Order: sequence, then structure tokens, then C-alpha cells
Amino acid sequence: MNTRFSLVVAACLAASAAAQDLIAVKGGKVMTITGPTIDDGVVLIQNGRITKLGKSADVEIPWAAKVVDATGKVVMPTWVVAHSQGGQRGFNENMQNVPWLSVADAIDPAAVYFEDALRNGVGTIHVLPGNQTLLGGSGLVVRPAGRTVEDMAVSGNTGIKMSLFAAGGGRLQQIRKLRRALDDVREYLADFDRRKAEFEKEKAAGAIAADKTWTEEIDRTKKGACDLVQKKTKGWLFVPSVAEIDEALRLDKELDLQIVLGANIDDAVPQLAKFGKPVILDDTIEYFETDEETQKEKKVCTPKLLADAGVPFALTLGAGGPTSYPWWQLGTCVRNGVDRRMALEALTIVPARLLGMEAQIGSLAEGKLGNVQVLTGDPLQATTWVETVLLEGEVVYDRAKDPRLQYLFAEDVKKASDKKPTDKAPEKAAEKPAEKRGDAAGQGEPKAEVK
Amino acid sequence: MHLRSSLALLVPFVVAVERSAAQELLLKARRIVVAADAVLTDGALLVQQGKVVWVGTDIPADARSRAKAIDYGEATIVPGFVLAETTLDQDADLAEGALAFTPDLRAAEAFDPWDERLLALPALGITSCAFSPSPRNVAGGIAAFVKPGKDRGAIAAAELHLSLSLTGAARNPERQPTSLMGAMDLLRTTFTAARTGTRTGPDAAVMHQVLQGSRPVFVHADTWAEINAALDLSRDFGFAVVLVGAREAGKALPRIVQQKASVVLDTLVPEGRLEPLRLPARLAEAGVPFCFAGQPEKLRLSAALAVRNGLDRRTALQALTRMPALLLDQQQVVGSLRQGSAADFVVFTGDPLDLDAAHVATWVDGVRIAGTDPAPKPAASAASATVAGDRR
Amino acid sequence: MNARFVATLTLSAALASAAATAQERTTVFTGARILPAGRPAIENGVLVVAGGKIQAIGGSSLPRPDGATTVDCSGRTITPGLIDASFRGGADPADLNEQSDEVTPHLRVLDSLDPEDRSFERARAGGVTTVHVMPGTRNVIGGLGCVVKTWGTDPATMVLNAEASLRIVMGTEPSMGNRAIRGGSVDSMYYRRPTTRMGVVWEARKAFFDAKQEPETVPGQAPPAANPGREVLKRVLRGSLTAYTTARSEQDIRTALRIAAEFGYQTVIDDAQDAYLVADELAAAKVMVLLGAPSAPTVAGTAGADGSDPRFATVRILAERGIPFVVTTGSNLSALDLVREAMFAARNGLDPAKALDAVTILPARLLGIDQRTGSLDVGKDADFVVWSHDPLDPAAVAESVFIDGNSVLASR
Repeated sequence: MNTRFSLVVAACLAASAAAQDLIAVKGGKVMTITGPTIDDGVVLIQNGRITKLGKSADVEIPWAAKVVDATGKVVMPTWVVAHSQGGQRGFNENMQNVPWLSVADAIDPAAVYFEDALRNGVGTIHVLPGNQTLLGGSGLVVRPAGRTVEDMAVSGNTGIKMSLFAAGGGRLQQIRKLRRALDDVREYLADFDRRKAEFEKEKAAGAIAADKTWTEEIDRTKKGACDLVQKKTKGWLFVPSVAEIDEALRLDKELDLQIVLGANIDDAVPQLAKFGKPVILDDTIEYFETDEETQKEKKVCTPKLLADAGVPFALTLGAGGPTSYPWWQLGTCVRNGVDRRMALEALTIVPARLLGMEAQIGSLAEGKLGNVQVLTGDPLQATTWVETVLLEGEVVYDRAKDPRLQYLFAEDVKKASDKKPTDKAPEKAAEKPAEKRGDAAGQGEPKAEVK
Repeated sequence: MHLRSSLALLVPFVVAVERSAAQELLLKARRIVVAADAVLTDGALLVQQGKVVWVGTDIPADARSRAKAIDYGEATIVPGFVLAETTLDQDADLAEGALAFTPDLRAAEAFDPWDERLLALPALGITSCAFSPSPRNVAGGIAAFVKPGKDRGAIAAAELHLSLSLTGAARNPERQPTSLMGAMDLLRTTFTAARTGTRTGPDAAVMHQVLQGSRPVFVHADTWAEINAALDLSRDFGFAVVLVGAREAGKALPRIVQQKASVVLDTLVPEGRLEPLRLPARLAEAGVPFCFAGQPEKLRLSAALAVRNGLDRRTALQALTRMPALLLDQQQVVGSLRQGSAADFVVFTGDPLDLDAAHVATWVDGVRIAGTDPAPKPAASAASATVAGDRR
Repeated sequence: MNARFVATLTLSAALASAAATAQERTTVFTGARILPAGRPAIENGVLVVAGGKIQAIGGSSLPRPDGATTVDCSGRTITPGLIDASFRGGADPADLNEQSDEVTPHLRVLDSLDPEDRSFERARAGGVTTVHVMPGTRNVIGGLGCVVKTWGTDPATMVLNAEASLRIVMGTEPSMGNRAIRGGSVDSMYYRRPTTRMGVVWEARKAFFDAKQEPETVPGQAPPAANPGREVLKRVLRGSLTAYTTARSEQDIRTALRIAAEFGYQTVIDDAQDAYLVADELAAAKVMVLLGAPSAPTVAGTAGADGSDPRFATVRILAERGIPFVVTTGSNLSALDLVREAMFAARNGLDPAKALDAVTILPARLLGIDQRTGSLDVGKDADFVVWSHDPLDPAAVAESVFIDGNSVLASR
């Protein structure tokens, strides 16, 4: 069913995607995120980039432009997810130390994850290997639209996934293994440099013919890790709990790291406050903790704690369940006392910065990519739906043509159920964690696979 | 209290068959705790035939001449501790596996006089216990009152209370009932059947005794829900209830007071949460009769922890001695060292509620079965013991 | 933001003082948008509470009694305390299922109820003041459900109805733990019927058949052998006790309706995920439907194999066909707070006012407690919630919750 739906979406889009080099989103309340909100505004996109942004009265829409009427609606940048392991067929490689792998080979463009992401107004996703790893391969920034990974790719070689999650063996073992892996790479590099220097020395001394040059290159399987230890590339380090936070901060002194936090991390807030750099949060941002003495439960909201401690953070989205909805995540922040603006930024401009793409995405501004979503109402309301998504000026999602929503909201249910695809195939569960969440037996789904 | 008047009751004794029992013994110590509220300084106990025949400070001259004197010097003698609920080493033998409702089974019939755990009790200061059916069954059966001895224990009373259980242990996933509501239904149904006479037989007879008030009831109940359920039964079927375990008794305190229930506590552990540690003091404050129980090895520790957490020493000592005896309806025999009580007592180097006080000896029925006799003392010090002391 | 924060502090301070004397003193809550349930919203409303009851409710012109404590609730929304008509908490799950028999109609879930169960605290924090707790789903006929408030000084004070319902369960869950002879020892109590969906229906039918066959007790004659379970089933047959049949998939809902019709008793359909597929039959049978966890995109319950196919369209279809339904958390393990489930019902197209009714006055009527609670009307229990935002806003949080006029949130 997944494949089928996605192909239908893709087919719809193929028709509209071609040659939309001039498009105007008109009449909506434009929430630019970094700039002022414009009531009755126009966003003009040419060749994939925003060329003009302003009030309807001030912006002349060229006669040739295709117009998306957003009157009475909300126009804002698409969401940015800075860390995700969704949309892959098997995101945890069995071998732990595999820095040469790339998620490009695991991404399934037909995964329901991407379809859902688009439906929720997500325009940019940084896909990385899973958390059960040591040095786990490099990630890829994709847009959740396109039939091939090449279509989807926005930028590659975003860095190496690293994890302090102890998969088999203890926490110390994991730290030791990670240190060892990094040391191995450093030794290899030192050896490489030593041999190269010897070659040059011998060449200078005449022991090697003058026309010979050093041809050996860095081992392909070690290239990514070498870049990591030389701080030429970023490490995306998963820190599962407060117990690993000190080690993570030590590693940060040696490498160019981005810290990605596990769910239950409230106790680490003081250390993170001293650390001061932005962090990426798990999709579970609200949970209960029990006081051991009083046995009383306390609700913990990590974004609220970080906001109070002055730690910048990016939110992420879950795969299925309420945390896959941006409005739910932002609503959770606001009901726990996080400033609405900070919540909005944590799923737009902040993750864009962490990806080094703040000049392209994360807000609406002239010169940025035309990644725009049109919503039926306020982005923090449950009753709001995403109407239209444009990525680089192309309409890639139109709610009126969304086959899955048509199925779930079918006017004539009997008819729709006749058409119901045979979706009880066993592999469905593996791909669609969202649909198993009411099920105790479904706890073995990717949710349980430690991220 | 009438320690002096007890002199008058001292009667000439007959020479007994067994020498050790017949031999009058005069035990002396710096402090003798007759009961938690009656402490003698430089007093003495006269023991004969396994019973306390006299206790006081002015030792009668004839007793002094006849009895063999044993002087524990600076030590403190307290009544032997009574353990109100234990399965000793025989838990496996104290719950029928297939059936949860066995009110007519008697723990006495499972009793093993050579039980190692029983024989280890005296060294812990415990001189008697209620050997009870395991809480693994909803209606486990009838407890027995047993005492350790020098090399084998003995049943002192074969039938005490009926032991019921509403705890998780009684809700076995492999037989009826598996849930609290199932356990409650089982008891309600059987009590009702006994009341209306629609059920007969030995099990119904025991339930009938409860309804008539001739059979006390102990109910194992830990959580608030279980305690409430036990109190519901007590209210609906009109019997007084002794709650065993009652970990969350603090939450149900108003109802426990209102329904005049008593509590047999489980072991207190120092590393635990504060709430259970403060429970004894709260029970005392609310006037709920309670005693310490649980693991015999930690009985004294439990009392000491309760004192550390606000319980007064007198009540703590009561809760080791007099109170369990009362709850088991054995207060005439054990729990204090009044005249006529069994000569069950323990000698410590100081207050047993101070954990630095060492155990010296334990006597059961007038025989020392753990610890040592005091070292012989010079005559001068024996003479000083004759000085009448202050009763407090 | 700062101004807002200060306002919150004042409110909670006022509430703290109001709570101490809640029962005796008259307290007036002013300035809030009041959604009384079952009737239109009152802007800038006034709610007068004393003696644990609602004394008056109205617009800003409502006269305020002398000497009353006033709590300023400007910017807030007040609703009745929410009612969860199918609440899976209330006790240790193991205590909600008596596994030793398939048919245990006379077991009372109240006996297993743990007033300290964490689910009550969570429910209160989410603005839920009354819940209907039923036995678990392991048995074909599980026993008697009870309706309790989520807070009380004593468990007895929490109970609104000790025997409110009889739970019947269709589908695969009641047969899940049982096994055939090859599956293990014949001595095990789990070696028994039913092991199939058919067997589940057979057990239910047999129980009602036996109850129907048994003659009624005639005064003056010896009563038949005591069978408390059968007495409960007779109450259902007589119509003095409501059956709640848990049925998720289309086939199970049809079966539930068929058995009820066969023996002539009324049933409510619980966790009716596939209700949209049998809308005509449900409308014809005039049954009430409990919609468990509309947030869940799929199957509820622990079985996960009941084969239902939930749709977003369900709420709209039921509303259009006039099939009465209430929103519950049901047996779904990942159900959200009840107010969020109502929010998801609204997201799926239910009118917001109706979504609120579906967790307040409608379940109150269903459970027969609408004289006591379920809406903000004079004389009813002072069970209400002060929300930071409109309750269907994801940012809404229950700032204070009152049960019988007592403030029941520990501290905020």
C-alpha cells in the first residue's frame, strides 16, 4: 500500500512539477519566522527561490506567474528536521564501526515516513544512520518528495553519525570502543603522513626517481572518519542519557560535534547550560518522572528546561503517533511554558542553522529557497491541516489530491473500502510504525529499536 | 504492677521431676523490664517450672537461700520478643498449590520442630512466634503458636487465628483467583455461604467461627486497595481485623482507626523510603495497636529504625513484646515478665533498642537456650544487689 | 509573557486559599470563558461555588454573594470536569482480569480499585474528574464496572455507582491466553475454551441462555442454588443493568448487536473502531457507541489483531447519522489524555462544541450521573476545570481542577 500511495502522489506531482519557474503564493497571513508576520501577503518564487516578499498591495504579481491562492490561510516556511532515522530500510547496520557507509543506500523514497512528513509540511529532513552504532556512516539532507534518492537529495556528506548508546556491553565498553576507533583512525593518519613524508624525503635525497609522485590516497573506508578526526566534517553524536553527557562534552573538545539527545535527559540540563551550544532533542519531549521518596509523578518537558537554562535547541518529529505532528510538538512546548516563537524557531530556523543551511531554508526571506507551506489555520492548532507544500517553488503536495487522506476521510466509506488496497501484508508493520502504536505487540517496532 | 504484693502469693513448691525445671532460679540484672511500662532497677526474677513465680526488688529470704542465683550484673533483661507472623523455613509447605481457599488447614500440622530458622530465633531475642499459613493463599488456614527450644521447638498452642491474604502473592496467575476482585469475591461468597448456612464442612465451620467472633482473623494486605478490601470484609461481616504487612497503612489511617483494626508490620529497612519508616510513629500517634514482624533477623533493627524515626521507646518495646502477644491472644503467657508468665526473656548488655547493646542470653520456659551464663562474680557485688532499688 | 506569568501566580495563590475552605466558603470564579456543556458558551462568565455544589452560573451581570472569595480567571476557559466512559486505569492491570474463568459477571471491579493508582492522578491532571472503570478485556464476561470520581478523601467517597455496567468482550482478546491440549499441561487452568472468536461468542451466548432458562425466584419457594453471576445476567436481561460490549472490528460489532438482539438486552458498544462500517445497523439498534482514542490511527487493545480499520471519517459519519457516541480513552495502550482525544475528534471533523459534549454531558447521561455532574448547572457537583487555553488547543493545560469544590491538583 505504501508504495502504491507514494507512486500515486508522485504521479500527481510529476504533472505539476514541470517548469513552474514563476509562482506566487497570494493573500495569506505570511509568517516569515525571522522577520515580521505579513497579513495579506505575497510570496513570489522564481526559479526555486523567493524573489519578493511583501504585502499584496506592494508586490506586483507578474502576469505569467502561477498563483496559489492562500487567502484566509497561513503561509510559512516548511519545517526542518535536523536529525532523523526515518525513511530507511534498516537504519541500524549490524557492524558498529562503518564510517564509510551512507544513508543514501538505505533511504526508501517510497517510505510512508516521507509521505507523512510532506503531509505534515516538512520540507527538509536530515536522515542519519540509527543510534545503535559507533561510527555509523554519513547522513543526507533530503526533501520528502521525489522518486529516487537523487531526486530527494538536497546535500550529502553532512557528517558522520556517532553514538554513545551501549548496544550490547556496557556504557564504559561503548566509550572505550569509540575512543579506540578514533585512535585507530588517528594512527592510520599519522602513519599515512609519516610514509608520505618519508617518500618525499627519499625523493629529495634521490633514492626515488624525480618523476615519481606520491599516488596513495586515504583508504576509502577511512576517509569519512579521517575527516572527522581532522575536524573537516561534523560528527552527529547521539547521547542517550545523562550518564554519557560528560563523555560527550569531552569528545566535543576534540571533534566538531553536534549533540543529539535521547529522551530522558532532564538531569543533564545543568551540564548543557554550561556547554552552551545548541542541541537536538528526541521526539519525546514530555514524560513523567517518579520521585523515589514521595512516589509522586512529575511531568518533565525537556524544551522548557532547556529554554529556562538558555540552551538553544532544535525539535524533531517522531515516525507516527502524535509526535509526528509539528503542531503537537509545538503545542507541547507552549503548554509547558515555552515561548511560542521559540517553539516555532526550533523546528525551522534553528535546525536550518545546525545544518549550515540558514541561508537557504528555515524562514521566508528574499533569496532563500521557495520552501513554503500553506496551512488552513494557525500552525499550532490541531484542527489545522497543511493545504499545499511547495519545495523550491514546485507544488509537491496538494491536500485535495492526497489519496491517503481521501481514504481516511472517505465520503462514501463502503465505496472507499471496496477500493481498499490489500494492505495486510506482513512487511507493512516494519515500514509503518505509526499504525502499530495502539498495540502492545507493536512495541517491538522501530520505536523500541533504540534511536 | 503489684510487685510487692506478689510476695504474698509465693507458695512453697514441690520438688519437680526434672531437675532443671524444678530448680528455682533467681535471676538478677541492673535493669529488668517486666513490661514496657514497668522497669526494675537492680531487681530479680524468680523462675520455677518454666514460669516467673516472683519478680521484684526485695528478694524474699527463703527464695534467696533456696534458689540458684544467676547475676547478669549490669545487663538488661527484657521479655522475649514475640514474632506475630512467620512461615519459618517452611513456606513451601504452608500454601496448597492448587487451591486458594483452605481456611481449615492447620499450620500446626506442617510444623517441623527441628526447623533451623526456628532454632535460630533465640539468638535474635525471639522466644515465641505465630507459625502461620503462607500469604500465598487467599484463605491459608490457621496459625499455631510455637516456641523454639534448646535442640527442638514445640507447639505451645495449636490453633490461633485464621490467616487470610489479599496481597499480590495470593493472586496466582495459575489458579483462581488471579485478581483482587476475584479474591474478594471468593471471601465474600464463602463468608456469605457460612452465614446463610448454604455451605457446610470444615472450611465453612472456620468461617462460621469468624462470624461468631470466636476466631480472630489476620489479613495480609499491603497496598491501600488491599487494606480497603480487608476493611470492607471486616465491616461487612462484623469481625475485628489484624492487618499484616500494611505497607500503605498510612493512607488508610482514618479507616483503620475508625474500624479499630490492628497492624502487624513488615520489616523496616534503613535504605528504604521515609514513609514506611515513619509509619510506626504515625500508627502510635493515631492509637492503632501494632507490632513489628517480618524477617526475624531484622526484627530488632525494625524497632530501632522506628525509634529513630519518631516512635517512642516504650511503644517500640511494647511492639516487640506485649503487643504481638495481645494480637495473638497469648498475653497471659508471653510478652511480659509478670508473675505467672512463661519465663521467656532476653538479656542484653543495654537497651535492646540501641543497636550497640549486645545479645547476652535468651531463656525460654526457664531454660537458657542461647547465649551464655554470666561469669562468676565476687561475693561483694552479689551482696550489693540486695539493696532495694528504685522501681524506675 | 511576564504579565501572563504574574497573572498565573495570582490565580494559583488565590486558588490555594480558596481550596482550603472550599467546602464551606462561597467562591466566585470570574472573567473566564465558560463552556458549560450542552449549551452555548458564556463569555466573561461567573461561576459561584459553595458547599461542593454549583450555586449559580451566568454572565458578568450575575449578582455575586456577599463575603465570597473571588478568583479572577480572565483569559481562561472553564469547562465541566471531563468524564471518561471507558477508562483502563484504576488498578493494577493484573487485578482487572480474573483469569480463572471466562465468565465472571458478578465480580466487582470496585473490589480491585486502587484509589492511589497513578492513572487517577494523571487523569486529574488532565482535567478528568469522573471515570467509568470496567474489568479488563481478558474475559468474555468480565464483571461489574463502577463509576468513580478521580479524587476522594476516602475511596468510599469517590464512588458514584458501584455497579454501573456489565462488561462483555468480543473479538480475540478473551481467547488469547487459553490453549489447546497440545499447548501445555492439561492441569493448567488455561487449558479451556474458548480459543477462537466463535468460542468467545459461544461462552457469552451460553451464559445468557442459562440465565434465561433459570426460573425466577418465587417468593415462598426455595431459591435455586446460589449463582451470583447468573443473578447479574438476569439484571441485564431485565434491563436494570447496562451491558457494555467491547467490539472493535465490523464483524465483532455485528456479533455484539446480534447477541443483544437475540436475548433482548440493551448494550453499549465499547471501543467501536469500525462503527462507521455498521452505521445503519447501529442507528437501527439505537445503541450508544464509545469511540476509544480517536488519536490512534489504528487498532486499539492489546490483541492488535482484531482486524478493525479505523478512519478519520468515523466521527463525522456517526454525527451525520445521528448515532449517539462519546469519546473515551478506551483500552488503547497509547491513548492520550481524554481532552486530547476530544481534540483529535475535533481535528477529524467533529464540531468543537460536540467534541466537548462527547467527554462531559454525553458520558454523564450514558452513565446515569448527569444529575450529579457532566455540565455546569446549578445544583450539580462543583466538578470543573480551569484551562489555560481553549481545551481543544494543544497548548491547553488544566491549571486547576475541582472535584466537589476541592482543588485536587497538588501544586502547579
